[in-house]
Amino acid sequence: MSGMLAVCQKELSTYFRSPIAYFVIAVFMVGTGYFFTYNIFLTGNATMAETFLNMGILLLLVIPAVSMRLFSGEYGAGTMELLLTLPLKPWQVVLGKYLGAVAILLLMTAATLIDLVPLYLFGNPETTTILSGYIGFVLLGMACLAVGQFFSALTQNQIVAALLTVSVLLGFWFVHNLQSFQTSYALRGLFRHLSFSLHFGAFIQGLVRSEAVMLYLVVCAIALTLNASYLQWRR
Amino acid sequence: MPSAIALESVWKRYGSRTIIHDLSFTVEKGEIVGFLGPNGAGKTTTMRMIAGFTTATSGQVTVAGYDMTTQNAEAARQIGYLPERPPLYDTLDVSAYLRFVARVKGVPRPAIPTELERVTTACGLEAVFRREIYKLSKGYRQRVGLAQALLGTPAVLLLDEPTIGLDPGQIQETREVIRSFGEVHAVLLSTHILPEVTLICRRVAIINHGRLLAIDSPSGLQRAVEQTNRVALQVTAPAQALREELLSVDGVRALEVRSAPGDDSVLSVECLVDARDGVEAAIARAVANRWDLHRLERHQPTLENIFLHYVSETSPSEPPPGMAPAEPALDCRRGPRRPPPSLPQDPAAPAEPALEQGVDSRERRGAK
Repeated sequence: MSGMLAVCQKELSTYFRSPIAYFVIAVFMVGTGYFFTYNIFLTGNATMAETFLNMGILLLLVIPAVSMRLFSGEYGAGTMELLLTLPLKPWQVVLGKYLGAVAILLLMTAATLIDLVPLYLFGNPETTTILSGYIGFVLLGMACLAVGQFFSALTQNQIVAALLTVSVLLGFWFVHNLQSFQTSYALRGLFRHLSFSLHFGAFIQGLVRSEAVMLYLVVCAIALTLNASYLQWRR
Repeated sequence: MPSAIALESVWKRYGSRTIIHDLSFTVEKGEIVGFLGPNGAGKTTTMRMIAGFTTATSGQVTVAGYDMTTQNAEAARQIGYLPERPPLYDTLDVSAYLRFVARVKGVPRPAIPTELERVTTACGLEAVFRREIYKLSKGYRQRVGLAQALLGTPAVLLLDEPTIGLDPGQIQETREVIRSFGEVHAVLLSTHILPEVTLICRRVAIINHGRLLAIDSPSGLQRAVEQTNRVALQVTAPAQALREELLSVDGVRALEVRSAPGDDSVLSVECLVDARDGVEAAIARAVANRWDLHRLERHQPTLENIFLHYVSETSPSEPPPGMAPAEPALDCRRGPRRPPPSLPQDPAAPAEPALEQGVDSRERRGAK
């Protein structure tokens, strides 16, 4: 446990001693700020719905920037040799790194709370809907991070890791579009269930559905397990 | 009491390539073992298997009695490992980096500051304690890597070329650190610098093409190689008569006669003789009876000669006797070959043999 926390802490200090954390959070704030004002002026409704959807897409592009260095960076610097020879089990390395990245995600999310100030000052938004939207956003981000971290473990090259992550995440985001080409009921159901955006849409509307929560958590679990087993297998 | 490090018929294969062939040796507590071999011999792979970074394809690696494959976590606690390339996080500063390693190694929190101070002093890092690692020179990076390995006083220290990139003063200090550590713990030290081995190692393991060729004390290796000693002499004599006279001496196996540089009347002779006492005396008697003997000396094999003796014996095409080639012996010229490392310029020891070059030239000669 303490080993995992030490890894987590090391990840966080690496993020904050390099420009990544500041850069990612700043870009994300500028992006969401822009979408927020745009949507509010366009619709005139005191709601976060449109903004959340835009945040979701923005997240797909920002997550790889956070996750790509998690393992690729270690391979490149030769520090994997340290991590795997210290008294750490692969799952401790994987979870420690993941928690560090999730902390960055939470900071990013917290930074967008500033948009709620004008919303509550000048409108009368539905608090529970906003809350469910944030829950969905964090869960989506966690699933994306887990996928990104897994791809980062597969390659030494951070750019390759980022591109793989973006393409797979975009696949998960748009996979429900494949439904229209399928006649098989099972396949249509599968594509609907796998879609990150459909489930996220439910959260935005204020629905915290167990199948949506499960999808994100299962993706996390699978990606992290694959990640740890890959590290074990590489030995 | 289990050995600090024990390898039992360890093999390592990557696909069809066999990197390590049936390697067995032990390192006991309180001894420093030097690990010698040309580049690509399998030193780093062996180090990595002992450290638990890679696993052996077959065979058993135990550290302080813990099996590396089944009791990895317990074993890892006993090991301090400095890989060939110091594993450093460039963005962290030295103190944050060492604190991280100390925490993972399970040093209790209250003890961490004193532990950091101990290794910082031992490795001479006080001046850069708060500096980011990417700003450090190569020598300091190497020493941060060593400090990391010393944290938590592990029972076994694995050092892959620890003195590379250090200046002569630092090399001295680092050797001192390793020597004092090796008095109570076990150290396996791979190196290219042969005098280093004679200076601090109690035993030497020589490895080439993934096979252990010899493991013994430096003097023991000397005796083993001494079956063919060299005796050099300078004589004023007719070449043909001298040759016949010398070959008639019991114990002389072969010889080479040249005229001495700068003086045509003096012959310079190199004899290959049996390694037993009295041969040079017999030569001296035989020669001095008839001609002028100017000089006679017996060449003790240096560690460099011993090393070359073993390494050149196992050229890729001919495995050593007694070791049946289980599969085509590995030709290291075919594999990905690193460029020769720039050996540290050590003005204190200008005659440090460059193993790399010596072996390369031999291979080239053998290839002709």
